[in-house]
Amino acid sequence: MRSFFRMIAAFSVALVIVAGLATANVQAEERIVIDGSTTVGPIAKAFAEYYMSLHKDVNVTVSESGSGNGAKSLINGMCDIADMSRFMKLKEFAAAVDKGRMPVAHVVAVDGLPIIVHPSNPVKGLAVEQVRDIYMGRINNWKEVGGPDVTIVRISRDTNSGTYESFAKLVMKKKKIHENTEYVGSNGAVRQRVQSTPAAIGYAGLGFVDRSVKALAIDGIMPDHNTVSSGVYPIARPLYMFTNRYPKLGTHLHAFVTLYLSPRGQEIIEEIGFIPVTKY
Amino acid sequence: MEVGTRKLLDRSFTSVGFLAIILMAVSLVILLQPIIIRGGKAFVFKGTVEYRKLMREQFGRGNVEELSMDLEEARLARKPVYDLLDAFENEMKEQDSSFRRQYRADFRELKELLEELLGPREGERRRALIRKQYGQTRHDRSLVKLRHVIYIEGYDYSDTSGMGVKVETPRAELFTGTSLEPLFGILETDIGKMMKPKLTVYWRFLFDKSIDAHFFGGIWPEMLGTFYLAFGAMLFAIPLGIITAIYLAEYAGTGRFVSLIRICISSLAGVPSVVFGLFGLAFFINTVHISSSKSVLVGAMTLALLILPTIIRASEEAILAVPHGFREASMSLGAGKWHTIVRVVLPAALPGILTSTIISLGRAAGETAPIIFTAAVSVGKPLSLFQTFSQPTPALPWNIYNLATEHEAVDEIRHVQYGMVFTLVMMVFLLNLAAIILRARVSKRLRG
Repeated sequence: MRSFFRMIAAFSVALVIVAGLATANVQAEERIVIDGSTTVGPIAKAFAEYYMSLHKDVNVTVSESGSGNGAKSLINGMCDIADMSRFMKLKEFAAAVDKGRMPVAHVVAVDGLPIIVHPSNPVKGLAVEQVRDIYMGRINNWKEVGGPDVTIVRISRDTNSGTYESFAKLVMKKKKIHENTEYVGSNGAVRQRVQSTPAAIGYAGLGFVDRSVKALAIDGIMPDHNTVSSGVYPIARPLYMFTNRYPKLGTHLHAFVTLYLSPRGQEIIEEIGFIPVTKY
Repeated sequence: MEVGTRKLLDRSFTSVGFLAIILMAVSLVILLQPIIIRGGKAFVFKGTVEYRKLMREQFGRGNVEELSMDLEEARLARKPVYDLLDAFENEMKEQDSSFRRQYRADFRELKELLEELLGPREGERRRALIRKQYGQTRHDRSLVKLRHVIYIEGYDYSDTSGMGVKVETPRAELFTGTSLEPLFGILETDIGKMMKPKLTVYWRFLFDKSIDAHFFGGIWPEMLGTFYLAFGAMLFAIPLGIITAIYLAEYAGTGRFVSLIRICISSLAGVPSVVFGLFGLAFFINTVHISSSKSVLVGAMTLALLILPTIIRASEEAILAVPHGFREASMSLGAGKWHTIVRVVLPAALPGILTSTIISLGRAAGETAPIIFTAAVSVGKPLSLFQTFSQPTPALPWNIYNLATEHEAVDEIRHVQYGMVFTLVMMVFLLNLAAIILRARVSKRLRG
């Protein structure tokens, strides 16, 4: 029996040592909890690291669980900032107000929604209607849009995603996405699926599209900085951070949520690949 | 049955068992080998001069004089490249506009690629993101980038019946006849001098904070978070589990109600882990309000629920396995029931209880689903013990998933992901090893 107690003692000592090590490293007091969109995630993460490097006593945590979850989190008071790649729905607003919370939107950046295919796909561009027909299941083979005779593999974001909602609104226009569509849980996963599947088509935020996939010209327009910010590229949307009411001036939350207005914040957004709201 | 048949059966049974063991060993090797080899590259790799510069500027490590010498040599080696770029830029200015139009886009792409490889040029505006402030820090990655500079990855779409075929053409062909042509040869021969790769052991990968969303640095917040979650879960699950097991084995008897409880516990063990996660979110956070956001405390409690059934069942079995004579002997010497349980039964059952707890500890450390909704985030600071009551933390299992799918630069930082997997596997392995040793010692002492 003595050994049993001794073990418990050793166990607690080990725990205390680990804890001691941790406390020696940081003594964060303030915290900002961020949850929500995987599209806004890279911006939030970069802001978090930048902000923590300026204010060592603040712990900013970021999770990427999708816009829908971000909204739910904010409604339940589980986070300070909800990243969202779509605007809040009426239902979500009502639920928040019911709980005494007033969501305030901060538009932190603008994002185009490139339609991406495997680089080996000879198709260079599509019209918005063609993209819609592909996702509705009216077009099922690449040869119908000028490509080779290969069945199209549709990749979409899951229905919890704000990117999905944006796509549904801007491209699908209330038409149903065909049931034979593969749903994946994040922007990165869409890119990886398209990277590894020659016949695939998908969509993801601007900041997630690199040389490993090919963005299509939509209605003859390539998604880039100029075409998106000027509104010429047809599939573009703002990216939001939602807070409960406007944060009190002088708080860390206020400073954080207005970072996107500073030159440094805009540089960060630009370097990640999104488009700042204003030009300084 | 004849003796011959029996022997044959016996032998075939032995060989099947033997085969099973070999099969398991082989699959273990197949599974572990890539984890160890690839994971090891997070710790041991060829670090370039950019890596040493990063370490100096971000962590204040490394020999300043050696570094400045290295940097100077690298600068000299890179100078011809930059000279050629400048010369070409002048050439563009002097030539007519058709020349400019022909080369502008290609030249810009080349400059971008070169910046990815070598880092921003001296005297240029400092980039906002740390990942853009340095060239490639690992030589394996810089060779990949070099290939992107030297070859254009294009696709040949001439065969219209199928998808395009990948073709690599030397980028130099774009610039034939211009002053830029020799650049590619210089790059290819002098890449070693430009990057100065050196075998680097980065054991602090375990204890460094991450920089720029895991682009650089280590995994300390994740490690610490995993420790907190696993040991926190133990803190809740061990006392509860053992007390329940004692009650069920020694006091409860065999009523209908008790067997109902047993059935409940057994079915709890079969509930998918993601259900526990959702329960933790709905009950601990949204209903009981243990903490206002996700937190380590809630995550640990959720994990405790997950492993509780295992601990209860295994501990109960261990207690029931203690020979009845032990109890009778203790009673006959005048000890009460409680005294008997604490002094005689529990110590005898200890090895069994220990095994179950440590196996559960490994499970708690590796579970992802229960902590997604209750404790885990992708970026955060290492927490102090006090902060675990109210703040969420990064944790290895969740961050492995995050880096494998969600991260914006998955392909650039595979080594971090592999390093995390390696670390998690090693953690669980060491825990199990500790369990085996501890168990052996305890049972030896009990026997002796």
